[in-house]
Amino acid sequence: MSVAVDDHLWSAIGDPTRRRLLDLLLAEGTGTATSLSARLPVTRQAVAKHLVVLDRVGLVHVTPQGREMQYRIDEAQLARAVAQLADVGATWDARLRRIKAIAEAIQRTKQTKETN
Amino acid sequence: MEYGTIEREIHVDASPDIVFEVISTPQHLREWWPDEAVIEPVPGAIGELVFGDRADPEAHVAAMTVVEVDPPRRFSFRWIHPADEVARPGNSLLVTFDLTPSGSGTALRMTEVGFREMGWEVAVLEHEYQDHVSGWDHFVPRLAAYFDRLVASR
Repeated sequence: MSVAVDDHLWSAIGDPTRRRLLDLLLAEGTGTATSLSARLPVTRQAVAKHLVVLDRVGLVHVTPQGREMQYRIDEAQLARAVAQLADVGATWDARLRRIKAIAEAIQRTKQTKETN
Repeated sequence: MEYGTIEREIHVDASPDIVFEVISTPQHLREWWPDEAVIEPVPGAIGELVFGDRADPEAHVAAMTVVEVDPPRRFSFRWIHPADEVARPGNSLLVTFDLTPSGSGTALRMTEVGFREMGWEVAVLEHEYQDHVSGWDHFVPRLAAYFDRLVASR
């Protein structure tokens, strides 16, 4: 049910730079603001801010690594986000299939009555 | 395409009159959507969709406000707005059903808009998810593997 969609999680993942960061973290396992900013057309400071947003909604885990913070994906939370995403569309598909079945059953009943 | 929209279209082998009745009346609504629907198909009517048993404190009750009733062509409503607020863009999602005669049946088109206004980027994500554009080319196949692992570990 779309009501259950988590607003914060969605707005965190809705930003294209943040999705790119998630992609990089998935590909490379871990990353720091410095290593990630080297791969993206944005500053280290901007990357650090985006990582804070991802951390706040639990999409990444943070571990201090020397002078920097090292980030990695929280797989369970990411799976949860994607499940919600797939859910909204899939839920409507299921509803529409039920509408179709009900309407067609009524139509068949009506036609049977008319021919009898 | 408007990213804040979910769109679906299906063909139904039933007349537009019948399809209209199924999507807009409580006795049919509760067969395809919530467990209980309290709504008059009249513009401005405020009703409820109850998911679960109303007596159960866990039951979810969503407010619903009918926007447009044009049988057998269009039925639209807003939903999930706070019960004590008037439904408007920003506090609700707008669902529109458009019905068009198609052969001996009906082309039923559903759109749900308002995710962007609600602060949900779900429609953007769904669009990219389905089209596998840019970063999601890498992202999506990996997620399938993550899901399998998660399911396996439960």
